[in-house]
Amino acid sequence: MTESAALLPSGLRDTLPPEAEHEAEVTASLLATFRQNGYRQVSPPLVEFEASLLTGAGAAMTDKTFRLVDPASQRTLAVRADMTPQISRIAATRLSRWPRPLRLSYNGTVLRVTGDQLRPDRQFRQAGLELIGSDSDAADAEAIVISAEALTALGVQGLTVDLSLPLLAPAILPALSQDGALSGELREALNRKDQASIERLTGDAAPLLTQVMATAGPAAEALDRLSALPLPDAARQVLAPAQTLLPLLMASLPDLVVTLDPVEHRGFEYHSGISFSLFARGLHGELGRGGRYWATAPGFSGETATGATLYLDMVMRALEPAAKTNRLYLPTGTSPAERRKLQSEGWWTVASLEASSNAATEAKRLGCSHVWQAGAAVSVA
Amino acid sequence: MTVVSKNGREPLVLALPKGRILSEAMPLVRGAGIEPEADFDNPKSRALRFATNHDNVSIVRVRSFDVATFVAFGAAHIGICGRDVLMEFDFPEIYAPLDLGIGACRLAVAEPSELVARDDPKTWSHIRVATKYPNITKRHFAARGVQAECIKLNGAMELAPTLGLCRRIVDLVSTGATLEANGLEVVEDIADITSLLIVNRTALKTRPAEINGWIERFREATRAAAA
Repeated sequence: MTESAALLPSGLRDTLPPEAEHEAEVTASLLATFRQNGYRQVSPPLVEFEASLLTGAGAAMTDKTFRLVDPASQRTLAVRADMTPQISRIAATRLSRWPRPLRLSYNGTVLRVTGDQLRPDRQFRQAGLELIGSDSDAADAEAIVISAEALTALGVQGLTVDLSLPLLAPAILPALSQDGALSGELREALNRKDQASIERLTGDAAPLLTQVMATAGPAAEALDRLSALPLPDAARQVLAPAQTLLPLLMASLPDLVVTLDPVEHRGFEYHSGISFSLFARGLHGELGRGGRYWATAPGFSGETATGATLYLDMVMRALEPAAKTNRLYLPTGTSPAERRKLQSEGWWTVASLEASSNAATEAKRLGCSHVWQAGAAVSVA
Repeated sequence: MTVVSKNGREPLVLALPKGRILSEAMPLVRGAGIEPEADFDNPKSRALRFATNHDNVSIVRVRSFDVATFVAFGAAHIGICGRDVLMEFDFPEIYAPLDLGIGACRLAVAEPSELVARDDPKTWSHIRVATKYPNITKRHFAARGVQAECIKLNGAMELAPTLGLCRRIVDLVSTGATLEANGLEVVEDIADITSLLIVNRTALKTRPAEINGWIERFREATRAAAA
């Protein structure tokens, strides 16, 4: 049996009206918020040399990246699975002489070898911002505040920011860490909050780690409870930026729900400081994530950075469906000046290509909401 | 988008596994202060979802593997399932904060007793195994450099060697009586299994006080049951 021409490879889809139009509007709105806050837009290519995409924060995407051999240069190319490494590369190279802190925004589709459980899509759009070259806590706060404001401006309800401290568990467990990273098995157990396995793997450190894990919840309370625990100095140093950050967040967005999960590590393996995920109440999965990392490119020493990436497929799910658009059918003979005037008033016009005996019927057949008759927009619904 | 119950609180769904674990789990569920409607204990009931003494809490009763799926996708917020299920499927959206200490058994490799005597596992490069747990089985044998070809069965694993489907099985073993009755014996343990309280990641992030409250109540109930 031959396959239907409509079939697409798994995880890929066509987006149709009105969703495609809605997504374009939402993307524009996000970028507008970023732009208003001083972020300049860049647009890197879809494909680049493998090495530059998989350096630094990009290394986390090694298993999810499509690769191909460039027939021209015979070099291995990779399709971006994430845009942050591209922004790091631009900052380290072409924009190395632009003043710091450097604020860049972007949007584009990414492609992954596999989707994940909640989001089987292999291709989706990202929109994000990166704040490069400042280690201040205000920079961490800015990335969170602007992401939250951009989502709130779109009408996302019940936004929650979950802060994580990926360096805390390694600081509590120096004996179980190598180069600041925990063993894979322990990291898995922490990611799953699997108390029984954590006790088995951490031995003497288990009681303290359990107390640390139990603080997860509303951020202010969690920080108070964490600072009351007998943590080693290294762990206190990890905690300090979060204590400065929280009042900054509250000052900007007093209504924002902020939670803290001190041992969450999932997907933050390459983060070097405060990290965060964005959730909306009632929506399964993350709207985006971000945090502090080391922005670098092959052959460059790199610099500290923070940022946020929003996933458009998830953002769309958090929004009400697009409002029905008013489309106006223009019978033959409508002057171009009149058409432009109606468009400037906000109408989406659909011009008749040939004279028809009943313009209202034709308007309805083409899915228009109104028809232009005798100088007035008449509803055909 | 969000459904709100009469008292203004969002609904909370607890997923419980049918069968063996349920009878051990119910004292803990009740100990945590959740009392299902009477129909729950009626074996003739065809209902799948049950109200409880809490206005916004309902219980669904599904297969053990499906408990994890419901919780992973956020269709249920809290659930009880065996560690075997979490080991078989990598569910990044599930947290397992509490070992309930119930449903204790082990996941083991078994084969016919007469095979045990003449078999040298060191020489294997490829074996065929009947199991409900193809992922765990492949991973377990791959770590020893053995390629495991798995035949997925959903029950009555013990029949496979007797009827010549394959010679080895990987299955849950509690007393070993079923194995013995079918002329099989355990040659290797893969893991100790108990049941865990699991919660959906997003639910914990967006309703931390409420979900943490339930985890604490189950922790208390587990402690009380152990004492």
